[in-house]
Amino acid sequence: MFKYIVKRLFYAFLTLLALTTLTFFMMRLLPGDPFIGEKAIPETTLKALNAKYGLDKPVYVQLWMYIKGVFQGDLGLSIHYNRPVNDIIAQAFPYSFDLGIRSLIFATVMGVLLGIVAAVKRGTKWDTVTMFIAIVGVSVPGFIIGALLQYFLGLKLFQLTGIRFFPITGWNSFASKLLPAFALSFGSLATISRLMRTSMLDVLGQDYIKTAKSKGLSQKKIIWKHAVRNAIMPVITVLGPIAAAVLTGAFVVENIFAVPGMGKFFVLSIQTQDYTMISGTTLFYGAFLVIANLIVDIAYGFIDPRVKLTDAKE
Amino acid sequence: MNKVLEVNDLHVSFDTYAGEVKAVRGVTFDVAEGEVLAIVGESGCGKSVTAQTIMKLNPMPPARIVQGEIRLVDKDIVNASEKDMMKIRGKDVSMIFQDPMTCLNPTMQVGKQLTEAIQHHQKLSKEDAHKEAIRLLQLVKIPNPEQRAKQYPHEFSGGMRQRVMIAMALSCSPKLLIADEPTTALDVTIQAQIMDLLQEIREKTNTAIILITHDLGVVASMADRVAVMYAGKIVEIGTAEDIFYRPAHPYTRALLKSLPTTDMDRSVRLVSIAGTPPDLLNPPVGCGFASRCQNCMKICKTELPPQFETGKDHLAACWLHHEDCPGAKTGGEA
Amino acid sequence: MSKIDQSQFEWIGANVSDAESIKRPSTTYWKDAMHRLKKNKAAMVCLFFIVFIILMSVIVPWVSPYTISEQHLTHTDASMFFKDSTDGHMHIFGTDTLGRDIFTRIWAGGRVSLFIAFSAVFINFIIGVIYGGISGYIGGAVDNVLMRIIEIINGIPYLIIVVLLMMVLPPGPTTMIIAYATVGWTGMARLVRGQIMSLKQQDYVIAAKVMGAKPSRIIGRHLLPNTLSVVIVNLTLAIPSAIFTEAFLSYIGLGVPVPLASWGVLANDGSRVFQMYPSQLIIPAICISITMLSFNLLGDGLRDALDPKLRR
Repeated sequence: MFKYIVKRLFYAFLTLLALTTLTFFMMRLLPGDPFIGEKAIPETTLKALNAKYGLDKPVYVQLWMYIKGVFQGDLGLSIHYNRPVNDIIAQAFPYSFDLGIRSLIFATVMGVLLGIVAAVKRGTKWDTVTMFIAIVGVSVPGFIIGALLQYFLGLKLFQLTGIRFFPITGWNSFASKLLPAFALSFGSLATISRLMRTSMLDVLGQDYIKTAKSKGLSQKKIIWKHAVRNAIMPVITVLGPIAAAVLTGAFVVENIFAVPGMGKFFVLSIQTQDYTMISGTTLFYGAFLVIANLIVDIAYGFIDPRVKLTDAKE
Repeated sequence: MNKVLEVNDLHVSFDTYAGEVKAVRGVTFDVAEGEVLAIVGESGCGKSVTAQTIMKLNPMPPARIVQGEIRLVDKDIVNASEKDMMKIRGKDVSMIFQDPMTCLNPTMQVGKQLTEAIQHHQKLSKEDAHKEAIRLLQLVKIPNPEQRAKQYPHEFSGGMRQRVMIAMALSCSPKLLIADEPTTALDVTIQAQIMDLLQEIREKTNTAIILITHDLGVVASMADRVAVMYAGKIVEIGTAEDIFYRPAHPYTRALLKSLPTTDMDRSVRLVSIAGTPPDLLNPPVGCGFASRCQNCMKICKTELPPQFETGKDHLAACWLHHEDCPGAKTGGEA
Repeated sequence: MSKIDQSQFEWIGANVSDAESIKRPSTTYWKDAMHRLKKNKAAMVCLFFIVFIILMSVIVPWVSPYTISEQHLTHTDASMFFKDSTDGHMHIFGTDTLGRDIFTRIWAGGRVSLFIAFSAVFINFIIGVIYGGISGYIGGAVDNVLMRIIEIINGIPYLIIVVLLMMVLPPGPTTMIIAYATVGWTGMARLVRGQIMSLKQQDYVIAAKVMGAKPSRIIGRHLLPNTLSVVIVNLTLAIPSAIFTEAFLSYIGLGVPVPLASWGVLANDGSRVFQMYPSQLIIPAICISITMLSFNLLGDGLRDALDPKLRR
């Protein structure tokens, strides 16, 4: 187990290093010069500035300085806002995290439940309906679902009934959080339910389910005590990528519902070509998700008793 | 002797993509208290399906009991509801499966898997159930049962897992134990240990055992009576002695001839049975073995042979034993 | 016992050829798979939709009386089926805020979106099969290194890499293809590698090796054909993912530059006037969704049809 955790930690570190290096070279490849602005800068000042920011040093030294800065948590200064990127993240990320974690929990719980229902009721109406919803969820991008929800439930429903069930925008009341969280979670919910169904069907065909049945256990006990725990393993392994999908998907959903999270800043930074902001956000999200992945991997090691000894997870 | 199980004219079919597969086509037998009945036959002859139908373990659909009767300690199995079956399974009848590697839940401690069945059928406290589980592990000769109970299946060897399976099957002292090829997936030395264990348990507990196997050596070592199955039917049933020394059906004879013995001259070649069993999607009209049988007669192709009594408690489904068949009285040796 | 005529007991003897005769019609793997796919109604409907969308995307921009950037300032934001009295043509899907014909733009956008998706997936396929094939066939240390590289790439959320790449490269369809292909191939590589690995262990491949088959023959005759089915399924399921990526990037402002249109760009344009003219968002949204749905369902159908475990 210890070896397993060390190995995972090492990979997480390597991934972060690769991401930082990649970002560094991307920034260097960008067209333009950081000090070319509206006013012409005198030659001497430019030299001084280059020296100050270490731009006169060889590339590998610059890379080292950059990596050191990033690993110390310094993401640079936003050109557009003229504020440290750290500050902006500290201000906006809590909203994105709130939205993200709500969506993730909703997607996981509902996805797993729907997957179980579909597998247990295989071939019935339940299965057909659940899997139809799931395939629609996989196929319709979150921003489209968000826009449609906003239009029909936020706007049309209000116009029809005169009661505002769901605010169109904002992030304050509980009702205002429902639509964005649902729009963001739908795709992941669908993915999880499809995966859970397949996994559940696979487990239900295993010999140990027959053993449990031959002991006289009820269908309910067999499903909850024997099948679900084994079937949920593959779902746990995709939680990392799912978290990534939810958090990146939030960029767009937040814009639709005017949630004051990172989405607004990120999209705006792309439109204004605010490179430090983009690279800073990218690095932050990358690191966040690498750590999320790491936690999932370690949790998996604790949940599946087979990993403890054999390290056989691939 | 009291009958533990009576199976009467059982037909089981599977509704598949290709059509109805008639896996079991009229099977009749019974098992008495403390008796070991071996069901032998090659793969796909319907022996496992028969066994699993006794416990209604086959998923239905696609499986379907077409007709017939199963009485287990005077309980009607065919018409029993799923709720009734939950009380019967594990308590009146339990089962050991072929592959011990896949039969235990990989994410549950072995002790927990044992106590689960105990608690389900006997209203015991958690502690008492645990004690009972340890006692069972001792009964099947697992060393350090206390520590072993806390381990997961992947920490056990194949033979050890089969012992756990046996312990689990015995947990509520069932009247009938069905062992579906309990040794096929194990090493030869381990096979002998498991068979010894089963023999010992039978002597201690007087549990009736249905032993399903295609290994005639295993049959000889422990069965009281033997039923030979072919293409979804029992072609011959009798005492182990009858079957091994006075086989009455050509298939049984061919099966015995294909068995090597240690005192055999090495120049003698083993006899194999040419051909393959019929496709049970379209079973033949007459005797299932007809096309591979050296003694095949005209009638064998057109009429299903009924069971003929060839001795006391010895039945064979072969036209050779019909009283009108020339040479029937002499046994019709091929 | 009833009396039976003696002639019935005439000896025939074993007739093994009778027992050996195969009673079921034999079909090849692909024939059988096609047969099963044809029986899957949902998949066939999806196939029809895909063909329809591709044909429309190819044909409509050619025959349409309008071009994608031609503006009709007299009737901007026109509703669906608006008839232009000046030239007698109909704007089937109406016009947008700049007075451009949405019907033409939708199918021209479909061209761009589908071109990006197909090209990206094709590049993924080439890289993935070669990379995964090498990793799986050689195995050992090479495999170890190659797989660790994939693990690191996979550790970074792909949309983030794509966004970074899009910033650096000049905007356009090619950039999108490159950006997606840079990270998208890892899934295919893993899949091919896993398949080759397990096939290598199969007895029939070992048997071929023992009998002295050359590596080229083993790869060509045994490994590749048996990998083909999973690869086809994966390709079908990768297309919706590529379409989604294009739409997502366009939506956050990294799409193809004007005057080009893609479904993502159209959805983005539509979303600005969504509350007033919902059809301008709903039409591209439906196109994106139907196409993704069709490829997903077709992929599911193909997987079921090609799965040898389901073959009976």
